[in-house]
Amino acid sequence: MKRRSRRIDTDLAVIGTGIAGFAASLFACRRGLEVAQFGHSGAMAYTTGYLDLLGVQDGRVLDDPWDGLGALRRETPEHPLARLPDETIRTAFGLFTEALTEMGLGYTAPGERNLRALLPNGLVKSTLSVPQTMLPGCEALAQRARTLVLDFDGLQGFSARAFEANLAERWPGLSSARLTFPGMEDRQVFPEVMARALETRQTREALVDLIRPQLDGAEYVGLPAILGMQAPDRIRTEMEAALGATLFEIPTIPPAVPGIRLREGFERTMPERGVTLDPVLKVSRVRFGAAGATLTLHGAMEDIEVEARAVLLATGRFLSGGLRADRTQVSETLLGLPIRQTESRNDWYRKDYFDPAGHPVNRLGIEVDASFRPVDAAGDPVQDTLFSAGAILAHQDWVRQRCGAGLAIASAYAAVDSAAAHLTPEGQPPDRSVRSDR
Amino acid sequence: MNVRVHETEVLIIGAGATGSGIMRDLALRGIHCLLIDRRDLNAGASGGNHGLLHSGGRYATADAETAAECRREGEILKRLAPECIDDCGGLFVAVEGDDPDFAARFPEHCRVAGIPCEALTPAEAREREPALPETVFAAYTVPDATIDPFRIVLENVGQAQQANGSRYLPHTGVEGFDIEDGEIVRTRCRDHRCGDPVEIRARQVVNASGAWAEKVARLAGCTDVTLLCSKGTLLISNARVTNGVVNRLRPPDDGDILVPGGTVSLLGTSSVTVEDPDDIRPTIAEVDRILAEGAAMLPILNETRFVRAFSGVRPLLRAPGSESDGRKANRGFALFDHEDQGLTNFVTVAGGKFTTFRLMAEKAGDLVARRLGNSEPCKTALVPLPSGDALRWTDPGAAARDWYRRADPTDMILCECEMVARSAVDTILAEAPGAEDHMSLRAIALRSRIGKGACQGAFCALRVMAHLYDRGVYDGPDGLRQARDFVEGRFRGVRPVLWGAQMPQAELAEILHCGLAGMDLAAAEDEGRTG
Amino acid sequence: MGAHSRDRTVDFLAVAREILPPGANYDSCVGCGICASGCPASGLFGMDPRRFINMATLGMNEELATTPWVWACTQCKRCAYLCPMGIDVSQLVGVARGLWPEEEKPKGIVRSCAAQRMDESTSAMGVRSKDFVEIVEETAEELREADPRFADLKVPIDKKGAKFVLNQNSREPAVEPEEMGPLWKILDYVGADWTYASKGWAAENFCMFTGDTEAWREMVETRVSAINDLDCEVWINTECGHSFYTLWQGIERFGLEANFEADTLVTYYAQWIREGKLPVNSDWNVNNIKFTVQDPCQMVRKSLGDQAADDLRFVVKTLVGEENFIDMQPCRSANYCCGGGGGFLQAGMNDARRAYGKRKFDQIAATEATYVLTPCHNCHSQIEDIGEHYQGGYHVTHLWTLICLSLGILGPDERKYLGPELADLNLPDEA
Repeated sequence: MKRRSRRIDTDLAVIGTGIAGFAASLFACRRGLEVAQFGHSGAMAYTTGYLDLLGVQDGRVLDDPWDGLGALRRETPEHPLARLPDETIRTAFGLFTEALTEMGLGYTAPGERNLRALLPNGLVKSTLSVPQTMLPGCEALAQRARTLVLDFDGLQGFSARAFEANLAERWPGLSSARLTFPGMEDRQVFPEVMARALETRQTREALVDLIRPQLDGAEYVGLPAILGMQAPDRIRTEMEAALGATLFEIPTIPPAVPGIRLREGFERTMPERGVTLDPVLKVSRVRFGAAGATLTLHGAMEDIEVEARAVLLATGRFLSGGLRADRTQVSETLLGLPIRQTESRNDWYRKDYFDPAGHPVNRLGIEVDASFRPVDAAGDPVQDTLFSAGAILAHQDWVRQRCGAGLAIASAYAAVDSAAAHLTPEGQPPDRSVRSDR
Repeated sequence: MNVRVHETEVLIIGAGATGSGIMRDLALRGIHCLLIDRRDLNAGASGGNHGLLHSGGRYATADAETAAECRREGEILKRLAPECIDDCGGLFVAVEGDDPDFAARFPEHCRVAGIPCEALTPAEAREREPALPETVFAAYTVPDATIDPFRIVLENVGQAQQANGSRYLPHTGVEGFDIEDGEIVRTRCRDHRCGDPVEIRARQVVNASGAWAEKVARLAGCTDVTLLCSKGTLLISNARVTNGVVNRLRPPDDGDILVPGGTVSLLGTSSVTVEDPDDIRPTIAEVDRILAEGAAMLPILNETRFVRAFSGVRPLLRAPGSESDGRKANRGFALFDHEDQGLTNFVTVAGGKFTTFRLMAEKAGDLVARRLGNSEPCKTALVPLPSGDALRWTDPGAAARDWYRRADPTDMILCECEMVARSAVDTILAEAPGAEDHMSLRAIALRSRIGKGACQGAFCALRVMAHLYDRGVYDGPDGLRQARDFVEGRFRGVRPVLWGAQMPQAELAEILHCGLAGMDLAAAEDEGRTG
Repeated sequence: MGAHSRDRTVDFLAVAREILPPGANYDSCVGCGICASGCPASGLFGMDPRRFINMATLGMNEELATTPWVWACTQCKRCAYLCPMGIDVSQLVGVARGLWPEEEKPKGIVRSCAAQRMDESTSAMGVRSKDFVEIVEETAEELREADPRFADLKVPIDKKGAKFVLNQNSREPAVEPEEMGPLWKILDYVGADWTYASKGWAAENFCMFTGDTEAWREMVETRVSAINDLDCEVWINTECGHSFYTLWQGIERFGLEANFEADTLVTYYAQWIREGKLPVNSDWNVNNIKFTVQDPCQMVRKSLGDQAADDLRFVVKTLVGEENFIDMQPCRSANYCCGGGGGFLQAGMNDARRAYGKRKFDQIAATEATYVLTPCHNCHSQIEDIGEHYQGGYHVTHLWTLICLSLGILGPDERKYLGPELADLNLPDEA
């Protein structure tokens, strides 16, 4: 039996289906480019749901990320975020949270200051944008409001009591309780499964009935992130109305709902925006030619060749498979792009895990020029038609700096800008706004 | 500040195999003991080895006496504590490039030491161990076995506690001895967890502090104990690589032995003389050397996922010529009665090997019992070790099999890699040696397989911590701090094996520890507070 | 400490290294549990995909070789879809199934496979080749008599050189032959040049589910040889999931020669609608009855990917009206298996199967749809069963039913799976 084959012609091939990849596709659609996107979106599911721009600079927690960006530009000008003006970052971030909100996942618009958002162990995180379902948690904390935090029998790694214990001194109005999730007695429960169950009215009503007697005057009720998968804001509003208290979600240890929401949201809506998407198909080969590149992919039943006029690489780091390490070096897995190595493996990690300086290996990655094109050792673009964005870029430590989303979104925006300029040199095509696509 | 005072007949310093062995030995003679350690069980060489229950083959060529001793003690342990032992057998193999003459002499050396040894053809050897390469040219079987060094020590302590109420105090370090008329009347200690002073009054004091024995002896004014500290580093694989022990048939060198540890394999061992037994950690250079040597014997090791490395310090008795190379030092042990140092109630036992810890304990026990006028004979070669509910969780795979067998859906698994359930943690909290005091995440991990799987604490540290809050073990920020300390502690061993499949794992761990749990910033904040 | 030696049954970890791609074998697992969270079989018999991997790593080969969970895992490959490393647990589940002694395997699956091997029909319900030919001829005759518009309807069998060769699930010829009518009418309507094969026509393969690779191969060989003999261009798989996967995957896996392309009926429904050959619309749905659709894992995630899901949605939306279609979430390639696959439906493990199906039920309930459409017989039966068990009150329907309903050619006795609101709608004019 002959294997099927398919050919796709596109302006831009986006390789990678994390935040950077999806942001790139989104921005490229907006620019009127035809987009085909491939990758393996697994690792996106590990997010807390918070979208950070810059939460930490030099080991210092930032209230004002924009101020922090100023310092970043002075101290590490090679940082991908430091290479972009505030305006670009602000625009990109805003467009992205708008798109998420349109997707049914309400996010706060990026503001001037970081929010203090709750973590499952009762600590807080400085972040720029949070899901609407988590925002009331920030308010409850700020006001030290009377708040009840709940957890569930059989849920691994989330303890309302731990949350309370770590905040009790600062937040006297806080209390905790444990419930058995309706219909899930005597078993291990996953947040994802609870979230799916809450998509049904019956379960929502049953849960509200369980929470009500625990309220004892609480104005806010905090839950692990389980308020539905597809339309959390609607589910929250509906349950709040029935309960007579404000609900908020707290991130949980993976496998957690906020990341799954993003993954499913993008997988659902990007094709609606016209993107040719296969989120679970890795590109096995890329050949560059005079007019762009040919990508080869192997599906279960078919071989796909993609003719792309430009390529955007957003394959992430080790966890997402964009980078690989053997005992002597770090390498880029798809194109063998050059990576400036440390002297030896001994320099990858510092002696102490929590060294505030972070680990040098996290700053290894792809070097790019001002147009976000990967460059060779001499600083020249490897290909005119190759661009890159996201965590694979060098000179950043997104985990420690709390800049993952900002890095992904802003670099995707800049890279798409450059790609669009390259593809339409005589001037930009009409700006198809995100809304008019619908 | 309150000084806590403890009284006992015998104070034993150092809760490794020897110290816990002496505790058991004396308790079985009816003598009450207090065992202390400035950290916790097996903090030194007893926890820093490959768990090999030597057939003696390793020493047959150089030291027939030690070899024979290993064989006798191994047989006793197999009889009394079968639950701690995997009688998996071993092979000595020579591969291309190894000295054929050395290999040829091996069977005769084994015969002299009384070690059963049988020649295999290379094909037979490969059938037994499919991971062996084509380049094997000589192979011999020996009755090597492996022992769970943590479980046996837990059982030693558990039996002593049961026998006569002897006690164990972790994180209690010796700071000095008060000596009057040639007798130690008080041992001044400190509780390293809270910083409080502790005073211990005992009729006899036994120094079984391993690599620290010289330091402790000096605190009592004794200068007769001189040790050579030899650091050994080992690598732990994610899964078991071979069926039995595989030894390289050549003079001992780095990376020439692969020992199954239940569900994993341990590759070692390097030997580097160090000045100070404190703050040792495996280095990348050691790991790479061990792996290069190991892969020559078993090429599969180049593709093997390693999850951690660790180092232990062997306390070796100084002998002429041993300064430069610990491997040439005497692997025997010595008992110091310190009478020529002017002390009548102080004993140091030092040197030796894990395999012979019982014998060392017997000799020390004989001396202490005689001094106390106790004429009970040593029973440790006759009385089987106990296997209590709280003592069995260090055995790799035990928690998983137990959980699977019980199939209780309400007994949530806290550590998925090793499948350690909530009930196992609760048992440890309630009754494992050291439980009467405070049980930290680190202490629970020492008594179980928590943090030892592929994730190395990325998930389980957070899950167990949440559970400890639920159980009321913590009610403030202490839990977070201890989880952080635990993770930081694991990292010492994780760092040198970060490549390949362990890189994505490490990246995910950092995302969880920093992004989700904020541990890095909490660490900085704490330092800001104290510093 | 017990024996940990890995030679008691099979070394699952080693087999994983052998059969899974590098970078996606069990050594690559980071333990995140995305697979377990997203697997409807999680929690059954205390197992889930992550535990399967961890137990293999811990050398618990005996437990893996004996856990009944391998019969509750439907091998839907959602774990591989979700895993950042792409680790596929389902393949080792197949290995584990194969290790069970024949007499201890679920009888329903074993019996079905045995039935398939008894006759060249390869029917799991024991419909022999000659019986099939007879039933088809009789049913066709009845249909020709009942509806004058189809008085010339032909149901070719073993017609050499036809463009299409279709397979046929045994359920219809065995217990509800009238359900074959709508499909034949559609093929007649579009003027398709098609045929059945008298040998190897059955659209089910329980041999794959027994874990007996040889039996699977035997089934596929019989079918491929029968199809090859007919010299058709395209083998079209009927509204059934696993019979599609088992054939093309079997051809690849066993390296068989096949002179045809493999495709699904849904693809052709979509094509015929686009070409105007099948002029269906949603005009009949004046009451805005809501529909959702179940993507068969075997057809979508495991075979054709989202292209098949797109075709399916195109067909369904055309049939019921865009505004009356509500997708389940997640869906398409990310869809949950309903719990009817992998032989679970036939395994006699009803409690476990219904517990598995609870997620599917919740998904359906969340859509608040009245009808679930699915082009898969196992999905059909399972979704019907959980609907009854959890009191969902929805109906489950084949696509061919709705296509014929829309075309006004669905006879009164072809409405078994429709609810009262559609029982009399758009009946063909009485002749």
